[in-house]
Amino acid sequence: MAENLASKEWEPKIVAIVCNWCTYAGADLAGISRIQYPPNVRIIRVPCTGRINPFYIVKALQSGADAVLVSGCHPGECHYISGNLVARRKFATLKSFLNYVGVEGDRAMFTWVSASEGDRFAQVIRGVTAKVKALGPAKKLIKKIG
Amino acid sequence: MENIETKLREEAKRLLLEKKADVIIGYEKGTLPLTATPCFITTPEEADKLVWNNLCTQNLAKFVHDLITVHKNSQKRVKPEDRKKKVIGVVARGCTTRSLIIHLQERQYERDEVYIIGIPCDGYLDGKGLKVAVGGADIVEGTIDGGQIKMKTSDGDKTVALKDVLADSCLTCRFNNPIISDIMIGQNAPAMNPDAEYNDVKDFEAKPIEERWAYFVKEMEKCMRCNACRQACPSCYCPTCFVEQSQPQWIGIGEDKTDAQVFQFMRLYHMVGRCVDCGSCVSVCPMGVDLRKFLKKIDKDCWELFANRAGSSMEDMPPLGKYDEHHDKEDFIFNP
Repeated sequence: MAENLASKEWEPKIVAIVCNWCTYAGADLAGISRIQYPPNVRIIRVPCTGRINPFYIVKALQSGADAVLVSGCHPGECHYISGNLVARRKFATLKSFLNYVGVEGDRAMFTWVSASEGDRFAQVIRGVTAKVKALGPAKKLIKKIG
Repeated sequence: MENIETKLREEAKRLLLEKKADVIIGYEKGTLPLTATPCFITTPEEADKLVWNNLCTQNLAKFVHDLITVHKNSQKRVKPEDRKKKVIGVVARGCTTRSLIIHLQERQYERDEVYIIGIPCDGYLDGKGLKVAVGGADIVEGTIDGGQIKMKTSDGDKTVALKDVLADSCLTCRFNNPIISDIMIGQNAPAMNPDAEYNDVKDFEAKPIEERWAYFVKEMEKCMRCNACRQACPSCYCPTCFVEQSQPQWIGIGEDKTDAQVFQFMRLYHMVGRCVDCGSCVSVCPMGVDLRKFLKKIDKDCWELFANRAGSSMEDMPPLGKYDEHHDKEDFIFNP
């Protein structure tokens, strides 16, 4: 069974943690506009990027995600006024620190997609998937069970 | 140094007699040779126990927070009008005052609940470094005199220069004089070598990514998750730490090595804008994990991205609690 899976072409698993007001609506728009994008992302909806505990990202990586994408409203457009601005500072340090300890910086990616940018959402997913495919499967920080 | 010690004892006596402080947290002689250990002085007679020398290692701000928390909890069932405030006196060097500032900025207690006895610091001795310097011999007796440490060891008499065994964080200390204090004892100490503080980090950053990862794995493999670093850290004061949380359970309790990695990673990451480089975690680590290499990176990022040095002034609030809409770093944002 395991060999069968390995022999198949590897597809990355990407966890996308997105904010309810912008990116989730943007993803919805991409859906209703029938824009095609790679099926590698698993979307998790949160109220705001400011709500994302950096632990979510690290925990996702530990649980075997090949990459984590965080996406929220553009700076200045947060529905909670400053959630994404506070988050931006957290993510800047998190990404830098991940890279410092030796986990590729591209395993944690951050972007902004607004509710009207369905097309951008699809582009982001294509871009992220391509990047992660280039990196290959995640090997670091992964907890193996069994 | 003797002079500072006498003044410190006098000051502690005065504070306790005048009831300006209910307890004074300082250092006393340790039970092992060449050690000092934190102590709590509540009566003027005990004040003679206090010492001040290069062996005073732990950051006492941790105990200030602990005592105030315990006191506040004990007052919970007292009628509000009958509640008493407790004033904690603390012997504080530069890094201790930085931790106190962080506590005050994070609204852990009020400024009038602490009485800060500021003492300039010329660094403390790195116990593990000393052990290496004497070739792992057992130290039976030792004195520090004029920058030299004279020891009787199981391997014969040995002398080591103090400056060779100072802790890493002291060698590049920028804030060796107290930043805030109610009273200062002694003259301001000369600065250490702060320009070199990020040299280690820069070297490490320049290494290839696989080498960095290998080093991280190697260091974290030593970690046996005794949580001593957390217990010693003044910035680690959450009532329930993520380590003990069970819903959700952030960290597995087994011996999987990634659990130790994730624990350390997240504890280190929690220090963004909060690590004062006091070296307490490094000094208490029984396994000698090189925590400082990673903590210093966080400090460097904070300085480069947000121009903030943790606890360096009362006005400069913690960097992750604020933002600058137009000037914060944006280049890490992914744009397809």
